[in-house]
Amino acid sequence: MERCLEFKGIEKAFPGVRALQDINFRVKGGRVLALLGENGAGKSTLLKIMSGDLRADAGTITLNGREMNFSSPNDAIRAGISVIYQERQLVPAMSVAENIFPGIPPRGALGLVAGKQLKRQAQELIDKFGLSIDPAAPVGTLSVAYQQMVEIMKAYRRDSDVIAFDEPTAPLTDAEIAILFDLIRRLKEAGKIILYVSHRLSEIFQVTDEIVVLKDGRLVAEMKTSETGEQELIRAMVGRDIGDTYAGLNRNDKIGEVLLEVSHLETDVLRDVSFTLRRGEIVGFAGLVGAGRTEVARAIFGADPVSSGEIKIEGKPVRFKTPKDAIDAGVALCPEDRKEQGLVLFRSVRDNVTMPILAKVKRGLFLDNHAEDEITIDAVKRYAIKTPTVDKIVMELSGGNQQKVILGRWTSSKMTTKILILDEPTKGIDVGTKAEVYQMVCDFAGQGIGVIFISSELTEVVNISDTIVVMHGGRVTGQMTRQEATEEKVLALAMLD
Amino acid sequence: MESAKGFKKFFNEKMVTLLVLLVIVVAAFTVLSKNGSYLHPANIRNIFSLMVVTSLLTLAVGCLMISGNIDLSTGANGTLCGILFALLLQGGVAWPVALIATLLIGMAIGAFNATLVNIVGFQPFIATMAVASVAKGLTYVANNAVAVPVKDPVITWIGTERFFNNLLPVTLIIAIVAFVFYTVLMGATEFGRSVYLIGGNREAARLSGIHPVKISYILFINSGMLSALAGILLAARLKSGTVTGVVNMQFSGMTAAMLGGVSFGGGSGGFGGVFIGMLIINGFNNGLTVLGVSSYWQTVASGVLLLFALTVDYLNMKRRGKRVSKRG
Repeated sequence: MERCLEFKGIEKAFPGVRALQDINFRVKGGRVLALLGENGAGKSTLLKIMSGDLRADAGTITLNGREMNFSSPNDAIRAGISVIYQERQLVPAMSVAENIFPGIPPRGALGLVAGKQLKRQAQELIDKFGLSIDPAAPVGTLSVAYQQMVEIMKAYRRDSDVIAFDEPTAPLTDAEIAILFDLIRRLKEAGKIILYVSHRLSEIFQVTDEIVVLKDGRLVAEMKTSETGEQELIRAMVGRDIGDTYAGLNRNDKIGEVLLEVSHLETDVLRDVSFTLRRGEIVGFAGLVGAGRTEVARAIFGADPVSSGEIKIEGKPVRFKTPKDAIDAGVALCPEDRKEQGLVLFRSVRDNVTMPILAKVKRGLFLDNHAEDEITIDAVKRYAIKTPTVDKIVMELSGGNQQKVILGRWTSSKMTTKILILDEPTKGIDVGTKAEVYQMVCDFAGQGIGVIFISSELTEVVNISDTIVVMHGGRVTGQMTRQEATEEKVLALAMLD
Repeated sequence: MESAKGFKKFFNEKMVTLLVLLVIVVAAFTVLSKNGSYLHPANIRNIFSLMVVTSLLTLAVGCLMISGNIDLSTGANGTLCGILFALLLQGGVAWPVALIATLLIGMAIGAFNATLVNIVGFQPFIATMAVASVAKGLTYVANNAVAVPVKDPVITWIGTERFFNNLLPVTLIIAIVAFVFYTVLMGATEFGRSVYLIGGNREAARLSGIHPVKISYILFINSGMLSALAGILLAARLKSGTVTGVVNMQFSGMTAAMLGGVSFGGGSGGFGGVFIGMLIINGFNNGLTVLGVSSYWQTVASGVLLLFALTVDYLNMKRRGKRVSKRG
């Protein structure tokens, strides 16, 4: 029987966001379907519902005509659905073979795991995929790409009907991507249903047969890959031409004297990182995940130890031992992971805004709640934060509004932020709010703040920054002005080995 | 207008639930006890006279729990300090000197806990449990497991004197002052806010310029000091430093904090609710004594009550966690 996966009327809401609305589509066996959309469009949510990680509020998923009703990821796996996430779900200390056959290894005499048999079966599978991996090697010693291959073999071995890939190429080199695509074609020939989630348009055209485009939780386009083009896809994803977003920005053109000078900075990740940031300048950091951009931010901010090199602010050498020292010197960091590092989710908007200025909002020994309210209301107005009151728990705001709360924290009247580091400030927020964030970044520069703008979205980093620093493997591999930069140039430097 | 808002905030849903629970406990024991002897002034006096010990232990562990930490050595620490205090007095040391010396010992144990947790990086659960075991052993070693009498007139006056028709023990005044102090400290100051923020998200607090390690040290040292004070006041009340001391009241302290809404996950709960939680615990423990339940069964009952508080906390966390851990 031909395999078929169908989504019918899927709905899902989170506090403050309708993540998915009325999603309907189907995929047949032997076809590769691309799930395309901007960050926050709902792709991951849909995958999580399919894999039993989340429950849909309404709608059904049917596989081969049977309605699926999962209460845990294990149910989904048993029903024949495997999702290969960016974060590996392997045990690093165990061998390739043990990872491919988890839980139910073949047993020999006395019920012991038969090591040889396990290894032989794994080797057969590895050969079938034409790979060169030692089945006895601990998974932790393999490169990211090979770990991913192990995960694919694990899914294949389970005889899954559906194999979904979530941004599989993000950490891979070109050569590794070629191997991955070859694997996907084999799975396709074996009649599997394949879902492929990616931002990268060129890949979509190389490897997929059909495309479903999500935008703000809705399915906005469904087409055959052979019948569409990049421009059409971008329009569907963004809802307008990307060029306009940036052309409409009110930029700062007054770039002043040097504010921050980093020379030969080294940490356990960074090697010889040097750059300068001027008053009113936006310096963008581009690179792949793990290139060391976040580490640069954390080292400057005093969050991670620096082993050597020099950091100067306004000509004076500094070496911050704690983030507190950095904040006192006028450095602010909006961290990459809002929920893990940026916000205290169960506290109010006010408590999250006044975190770094508690010592400045006191009347005598006590906190001055009125002053806190005023500062917060000011931030809510300036950034149009959508919240009914300042007492609202931050967790209940949408991603974009949460990001604005953090921006409000660092730009309140009690702060004297000179250097603002934004680490992936548009991650997981919707397209409309993104445009707002871009304008805010330009406005910060207009106020004379030096902005470090770290982003994994090439288009964004190339179009927002005055200067672009490209990193790879903990080193700076290139630096250029916005006028010089193209996405191709930056990408080439980011992937440089 | 403003005070009305404050009033509303104080008597929120949780407070009402707790007050209802308190009324139920009191009513049940009154009905069950012979001639309603539970509510007899003599018995109320009994409840009040020991409340300071649980109060101090509750405050000690409560502050730490709000910061997302735990101290399982409060009981053992307090007991050790109680017997050391009695020994110092017996050895002829003046009471103010003995008091300060003993408090310093309690604080040193707290600082040791803080070092194990923050610098060495041990799990607070295991680290403080090990320290508790050491303190417990030392308690027995200190005077060969024999109780030490306390005869100093000032100390025994503090431990046993009652005002207002014998209804208001000096120790209860200490307990109330301590509760008011910590309620204000945690609710209205920069320090208190920092504790909540660290408990809510330690890394976010650190990246916003708060020093989690510094605050953790202060809280562990504070916990050690309050435990020592609890041990000292029990010795003063019993006129004797004993080897069992305040050990059994440690769990009452934790139960009271959790009943009052302080979560094991950190970052939430206020001392208004905790105060009522503490009244419930004290009323409950005393009620069992009044009904003549054997002390063995009382231990079982305390455990069940702690499990109940844990369950409520777990369900709350799960409800919150469900909304946060699943990212879209």
